[in-house]
Amino acid sequence: MAPPSASPGLSGKPSMPHFKPVLYLAVLWFLLAQSALATETRNVLVLYSNNRLVPGNVAVDRGLRAAIKSSGDRPVQLFSEFLDRPEFSGPAYEATVMAYLREKYAARPPDAIVSVSDEALDFLLRNRPNLFAHVPVIHTVASKATLRSYPAMGADVVGVPLEYDFSGTIQQALRWHPAARRLVIVTGTAERDRGREAWLRREVPSIAGGVTVEYLAGLPTSAVLERLSRLGPDSVVFTPGYFRDGDGGLFNPRDAAALMAAASGAPVYGPFDPFIGTGVVGGRMPSFEEMGAQAGRIVNDIFAGATPASIQLPDVTPTKLQVDWRQVKRWGIDERDIPADTIVHYKEPTFWDKYRNIAVVTLVVILLQAALIAKLLLEQRRRRAAELAVQRQRTELAHASRLAVAGELTASIAHEINQPLGAVQTSADAADLILQSGADRRDDLLRIVTRIRRDNLRASDVIRRLRALLARHESERKPFDVTAALSDVATILAPEARQRHVRVEFEPATTSALIAGDETQIQQVLINLLLNAMDSVADMPEERRSVVVAVSRNEREIGITVRDRGHGIAPESLPKLFDSFFSTKARGMGLGLSIARTIVEAHEGRIWAENGAGEGAVFHVELPALDEAAIPERSHA
Amino acid sequence: MTDRALIHVVDDDDSLRAALLDLLDVAGYDARGYASTGEFLLHPPPDRPGCVLLDVRMPGPSGLDLQAALQRYAVTLPVVFLTGHADVPTSVRAMKAGAVDFLEKPVARDTLLDALQRALARDAAQRLDRDAAERRSARLSTLTPREREVFDRVVAGKLNKQIADELGIGLRTVKAFRAQLMSKLGVATAAELGRLAGEPQDGSS
Repeated sequence: MAPPSASPGLSGKPSMPHFKPVLYLAVLWFLLAQSALATETRNVLVLYSNNRLVPGNVAVDRGLRAAIKSSGDRPVQLFSEFLDRPEFSGPAYEATVMAYLREKYAARPPDAIVSVSDEALDFLLRNRPNLFAHVPVIHTVASKATLRSYPAMGADVVGVPLEYDFSGTIQQALRWHPAARRLVIVTGTAERDRGREAWLRREVPSIAGGVTVEYLAGLPTSAVLERLSRLGPDSVVFTPGYFRDGDGGLFNPRDAAALMAAASGAPVYGPFDPFIGTGVVGGRMPSFEEMGAQAGRIVNDIFAGATPASIQLPDVTPTKLQVDWRQVKRWGIDERDIPADTIVHYKEPTFWDKYRNIAVVTLVVILLQAALIAKLLLEQRRRRAAELAVQRQRTELAHASRLAVAGELTASIAHEINQPLGAVQTSADAADLILQSGADRRDDLLRIVTRIRRDNLRASDVIRRLRALLARHESERKPFDVTAALSDVATILAPEARQRHVRVEFEPATTSALIAGDETQIQQVLINLLLNAMDSVADMPEERRSVVVAVSRNEREIGITVRDRGHGIAPESLPKLFDSFFSTKARGMGLGLSIARTIVEAHEGRIWAENGAGEGAVFHVELPALDEAAIPERSHA
Repeated sequence: MTDRALIHVVDDDDSLRAALLDLLDVAGYDARGYASTGEFLLHPPPDRPGCVLLDVRMPGPSGLDLQAALQRYAVTLPVVFLTGHADVPTSVRAMKAGAVDFLEKPVARDTLLDALQRALARDAAQRLDRDAAERRSARLSTLTPREREVFDRVVAGKLNKQIADELGIGLRTVKAFRAQLMSKLGVATAAELGRLAGEPQDGSS
């Protein structure tokens, strides 16, 4: 569409293809380099001094694996071997192990060896020339004493020396138990056990203060336990555990410590973190896991290309105070005396600590639910109140409308009451005259008195009916016969009809027409419809001034029709007929039919209007019929 | 007994009607009751002094309708209305049409009897007037046609000469007819003649 353009804005485009091959090559080279690295798997041999289930070993392994950076493109494989000391030892055993390791790892020579604990390092250093001679060795959990015995380990042997804090642990124990008068130290008979005993005997007196130090060294386990069980709260026990007891029984130190803690009548302290959980109170401990992690980091550095000698390392693995919270409680150690940086184990979290989130969520849910329920209840109450108010209003309105009807009917009602009153007056006058005349007209007087009584009844009957209609009453639901209600209405309206010269004909139902409802309100509907009908024929010639009210019943409904012979209803008025304030009359309020509908609908019925076949209008009311079998028999008036 | 007044009570209310009949009986009147306008019309009242005590509002033709019908048929019975609800237009209409009174139910005995008394008095007066007129028209009927022609012109205030011209007769003949008819009618002066002529000339029915 656009003409070929020499616009400078487009001139840069052709240069793009020149860059592309360069880019592709760069990407290709990068990918190749990556895949070359990916093939380079590093093997790490981890050599443990004792057997695989010693908790310290497990912790070291956990730390190592967490620290060593292994990934898809630089995989590192860990292989673990266990010397199973002290159960297995001696030159023959070592030769076997050597041969085993050489052959086993011929195909997967290690790129680094990690020694865990003293014996493993010792084994490696002694046999290095014959076993993976130039592979760097990273030692961990190696005591300073062992390291000192190899002044020339070589530059490719590296690691952080371990120093168990026996004295720190003892000092802490004595601080926590200021009432203790006796410090009991338990050791065993293995070579390492004896080494520890020696160290302790040398160092403890300087830190024990005024406390008596007692050594249970090299005793059979049963004797140790028996002795410990007799201790009281005036004592504190320290033990590094032992590998072998006085009977030659082999242990791992943790199990020995567990036995002691279980039997002891005094708190037991130890310097190794696997002791935590055995019943030992705690101690100042290096973390085996952290030591494993430290070794792992050194392996990472070496694999990253650092020479072992160049790696910066701390002098010793720092120790930390660790305690078993259950034991703290058991021995009544003051919580305030536990330093803030202490690693506390087995501290049973409170309900709040444990379930804080769940509790908060649950609480919020419960509160919301409660609020919802409260709101619903409130809503229900409000709706009920509104319904009551509507019902009250409907009753009020119906009453007001009945009063209005009564006002409309005043003339005919007055006539209705005046008639018997007039008769009474006149009868009384007649009787009075008879009495004045002195004539003996006893029969006449009797007749007159009877008539007076009858007229009086007649007047009060009108008033009673009227009062029933006009009374402000609560809406009530009772069974009643529509035909009977209509007959009352007929009586009330008869004088009005007479005055207006309207013929009103009634066609009652052939059977009873019972409904449940408020009789007065239904009568009001009928009066309203009848007065409307009379209005509509008011200006009709004599022969059309007629209204027919019929009651019929079918299976389910009582039907009431009010038929007039007037002008009928204008089609445009039909839909609005039952609306409030709609009126076709000059002086109409437009409430009558609207109230009629409200009443009928409150009775679960319906009301509608239509024009008659030839002339006039027909109003229909349908109300649910009451099953007569469902109510007790009652006499009809 | 024929001079005793007969009061017609037209009221659809059986009880009130009976009470009224009792009262009127005790008060010394003859009374007859009718439940409706139609019933009254079906039983023409005898020629007796009396009046009608009439309810306004009744099924079918109302009291006012009956009042109009009575006038149409020249029944001169005075009407006293008795109504349950006296509204102004109805009462005005009734009074204009010649009702004696318009009473409201319930009515005090004295008020009622007083109204009936007045109605009967009016009826009596009407009857007297009617009797005199009848007597006069009876006398007038004794005149010959020629005497009547002269009479009409005399009471019309015409002079003898004018009468003679109109009738095409002589002045003396006119004078003779005058003397003759004055003698027949029993009057002595022209003024008396005039009074006689003041009565309805077709007074009798």
